[in-house]
Amino acid sequence: MTETKKEEKVYRQLESNTLLQQIMFQYMLEGHQASEEKHLAWVTSGFPVEIPVAMGVGVSYPEQYGAVVGSQKVGPELCGYAEEIGYSQELCSYARSSIGSVEKPSESPMEGLPTPQALLACNNICGTVLRWYDAVSEQTGAPVFLLDTPPIDGEQPEHHKEYVRRGIDRLVDFLGRTFNATLTEKRMREVAALSSKAIHLWTSSLAACKNTPSPLNCADRFLAMAPVVSMRGTDLIIDFYQTLLDEVESRVKNSIGAIRDEKIRLLWDNIPPWHAIFRFFNGLAKRGVVFPADTYTHAWSGAIEGDDLYESVVSIYSNVYLNKGLDAKVDKMCELIEDYNLDGFLMFSVRSCKRYSLGQLISKELVTERTGVPGVIIEGDMVDSRVFNEAQIQTRIDALLEMFI
Amino acid sequence: MGKYGIGIDIGSTTAKGVLLDNTLKIISDFIMPTGASGSRAVEKIMDEIASSSKLKLKGIPIISTGYGRTRVENAEQSVTEITCHSVGIHSLNPDIRLLIDVGGQDSKVIRIGQDGRPVDFELNDKCSAGTGRFLEVMAGVLGVSIDELGPLALKSLSPATISSTCTVFAESEVVGHIGAGKDPADIAAGVHASMAAKIASLSKRVGTVRPVCITGGVALNPAFRYYISKQLGTELWIPEKPQFTGALGAAVIAIRGLSG
Repeated sequence: MTETKKEEKVYRQLESNTLLQQIMFQYMLEGHQASEEKHLAWVTSGFPVEIPVAMGVGVSYPEQYGAVVGSQKVGPELCGYAEEIGYSQELCSYARSSIGSVEKPSESPMEGLPTPQALLACNNICGTVLRWYDAVSEQTGAPVFLLDTPPIDGEQPEHHKEYVRRGIDRLVDFLGRTFNATLTEKRMREVAALSSKAIHLWTSSLAACKNTPSPLNCADRFLAMAPVVSMRGTDLIIDFYQTLLDEVESRVKNSIGAIRDEKIRLLWDNIPPWHAIFRFFNGLAKRGVVFPADTYTHAWSGAIEGDDLYESVVSIYSNVYLNKGLDAKVDKMCELIEDYNLDGFLMFSVRSCKRYSLGQLISKELVTERTGVPGVIIEGDMVDSRVFNEAQIQTRIDALLEMFI
Repeated sequence: MGKYGIGIDIGSTTAKGVLLDNTLKIISDFIMPTGASGSRAVEKIMDEIASSSKLKLKGIPIISTGYGRTRVENAEQSVTEITCHSVGIHSLNPDIRLLIDVGGQDSKVIRIGQDGRPVDFELNDKCSAGTGRFLEVMAGVLGVSIDELGPLALKSLSPATISSTCTVFAESEVVGHIGAGKDPADIAAGVHASMAAKIASLSKRVGTVRPVCITGGVALNPAFRYYISKQLGTELWIPEKPQFTGALGAAVIAIRGLSG
């Protein structure tokens, strides 16, 4: 009997994923331990987490939990639990998943996130987070702290910096009172250094995708970003990002792409459809489509540095992608298309995420005008698969790809 | 380049087939309701084309398009209706740069490049308000056939206002107008004006470039043509058989290839 060699998979899985799974598991255990010790805060993805970390407060991320809910394909069920108690289907599906999981932990993945003792929201990613955390506060009794970072159009004015700086001072007071914790300059420097190191390693892996073939595809980055989102400032993640970078550099050196046969390079805009992440990106990979860059995973790229760390914190967390005007978003997309040598772009209009999706129609037009590459908008949701119509999405993407033939 | 090419367009409402020769002359075409089985429709289309053209179809390349495009077994390739409509219209009138196709399930606005390929496009949202289905529902409520709806609307001197852009809510509005004793012609005119407004806004997103071409089954409706022309402030160019342009483009691609 002759054995035919098994065809190589279209998508090349990263070896560093094993390490990623280990640290994410450890992170979950640490969250439970912190909760048991009454030392856990839930935080939003754009929160200056280095401060609670430097004060010894454990953190968990409801948005990341939403991604887990989505990828386990139980979005409709968990969102449904929130809808049953009166929340609208129009509300963010991360918020609905989170509220739903607190409502019915026994029917939720991992029995929900560990119970928080405080809820830290920063509205640099959207205004929904405040109301969402208010709702969870009603459910759990944990107090909410809001770090208010009003949107910026253009340069951040001095008064804006001072305002956010006062918010940071209030945060330190709040954490001090709630957790009986203190912040020392020495510890803050250590945490900031670890955070910057992780970010430096991460952004180096992202930048390596300028190479052809791209060493990473969208799904790789969306998974690998988890630690830099949730564990910035801890030493646990440095090893992982070093291992990832080594693997990425080795792929570049040996001209090994994230997908087997790279033909078309596209930019991805917005959160991914977690409920279909592998099917979606691997399906396109089969047709030679790779995504060397996206606007989402590039959002965690600011390093806290300099003599005045808090000034750096204020600048980084005020100037996040979603807290800036449309011009900044268009500039960023054009810059990525040019730097990463991309043929076109795919914008995911996420029903849940109004802040990210608002302005996509006009951005699409402007980006095409400036870069000369075509793009298409597809509609759906990151967690709630009920509003993800595959046939309509397929037609739009197919038509875009036909433009490259 | 082959001597002949076949294009099959399996739409949500109707299935169409076109057989072309390499001078792009239509040898045969056929249209029928898609029904519950796309593959049965394909079989029937092939039989009809074979008997009317008296050609043996075996070996003639087939390109499929439309929502059922991936389920046409004998197709060499499936190509989206966006590309096929664009190529089809370009083969009929190379001056057209903006195409509005209003089908049973969706409406699309396509900017056609110099070479006949789409350079930009927009499709309606997950909603039937800008589609043939909208008119079908409204004809049903008014108790007229779909063919009668357009001529009825053109009799109106004072169109009713249909403010809702949702088919379900617009249906309630129509029922309300009927209850209030409004003239059915005015209601029908309001229905067409509302749908034309929705499609005109989609078209403005892509950028209206004259002359504008309208295709799809709804292009046969005179009231829709009147209102969309008024909304866009431009004259329209409509092919003789506006329902066939997708299948025609597919047949052109079957002969010349996608990059040809």
